[in-house]
Amino acid sequence: MPSEETKERIIRAVDFGRTVLHYGWIPFIIYVGYTRSNPQPSLIKLMSPLA
Amino acid sequence: MAAFPPEKLSLDPAFPSSPSSSRGRLGALSDAYNRFSSWRSTLGLSNPGSVENLQKEVKNTHLTNFFFDGARADLMKGLSMDPAFQVTHSFSLASQTLPPTYSFGAVFANQQMFLQGNIDNEGNLSGRLNHGWTPTSVTKVQSQLSSTPGHSMIQVEHDHQGADYSVNGKAINPSLTDGAGIYIGSYLQSVTRNLAVGVETLYQRSPVDSEISTSYLAKLTGTDKNWIATAHFQPIGVLQATYWHKLSEKVDAAADLQVIAAPARRDAIATLGAKWDLRMSTFRAQLDSTGKVSALLEQRFAPTFSFTVSGEIDHFKNAAKVGVGVMIESSSLTPEEMGMVPPPL
Repeated sequence: MPSEETKERIIRAVDFGRTVLHYGWIPFIIYVGYTRSNPQPSLIKLMSPLA
Repeated sequence: MAAFPPEKLSLDPAFPSSPSSSRGRLGALSDAYNRFSSWRSTLGLSNPGSVENLQKEVKNTHLTNFFFDGARADLMKGLSMDPAFQVTHSFSLASQTLPPTYSFGAVFANQQMFLQGNIDNEGNLSGRLNHGWTPTSVTKVQSQLSSTPGHSMIQVEHDHQGADYSVNGKAINPSLTDGAGIYIGSYLQSVTRNLAVGVETLYQRSPVDSEISTSYLAKLTGTDKNWIATAHFQPIGVLQATYWHKLSEKVDAAADLQVIAAPARRDAIATLGAKWDLRMSTFRAQLDSTGKVSALLEQRFAPTFSFTVSGEIDHFKNAAKVGVGVMIESSSLTPEEMGMVPPPL
């Protein structure tokens, strides 16, 4: 059984990971898609609903 | 003391033979296993499909999963075909049950990876990641993150499909500190060419207590795969039975019966539905025992523009719902790049 201190640290790390995932997941997909797409799209076409 | 040497003597000839006998035993075991697996392959059983997809055909025929009310618009933009990359802007408003929302989604997929994310105007994110190690072995992570505490969820899952069986293991909200969470394991095995049986075990663990429940599954498939009957029985008194039949190339019909016979609650719902696949449209109609009649029409006017109308009348409650939706697909690619026009020779 891990000590209280380790538990506290794990909980904080999980919370931090969740925040990173929350704000970073969509930008991560867009980054992966943008860099690996063939042909590479322009950024304005990527973001705007009208372009 | 005097008894030692003869005993040792009697042991000695056995000694050199003991490794070979253990090898012999292992050999016999692997021989038996090989014979068993070759016998198993002569049965010609096919993969029964995953437990999650047990009722896939029925769910695809019924319109419960496709129904919406109010107005909806989806603007889909394909940015690349291989690897697939697309972004979606969805607007929905005037629904009777849900507040108006805007959501943005992005999907990226190549041979091994599938990444999907969707975020709405309140900042709720739902994400999905699938990674295929081999074509039959896939790890999936699904997550829902919300700024409201207690509404976040993560599910880690591994799915393996063998020649005649499927195994799946899932962990929902596993806690790294005390092991709390929900763990689900399921196994589905083809028994004959038509019948597959399986079990699903759910283990719910919290710091104070834990609980195990097991449910049983059966799937009966027609010889030429044009009908499927399934049953899912939970010992607490819940039975779900479904039947799907492909009536012709364009028409599917499906029935679903859900019976709850728990001591606290007795209830049953039957649903009957049909789906027509026409050249440019799909029409679904459904009737259930709670007095609801519903229909959904998806009409494709052009390859990039489709229009959806849905309606539901609840005869017992005297209520009605109507929905209209448009879906516009635009692409930054030329037709050649999308592979729609064969390239000139």
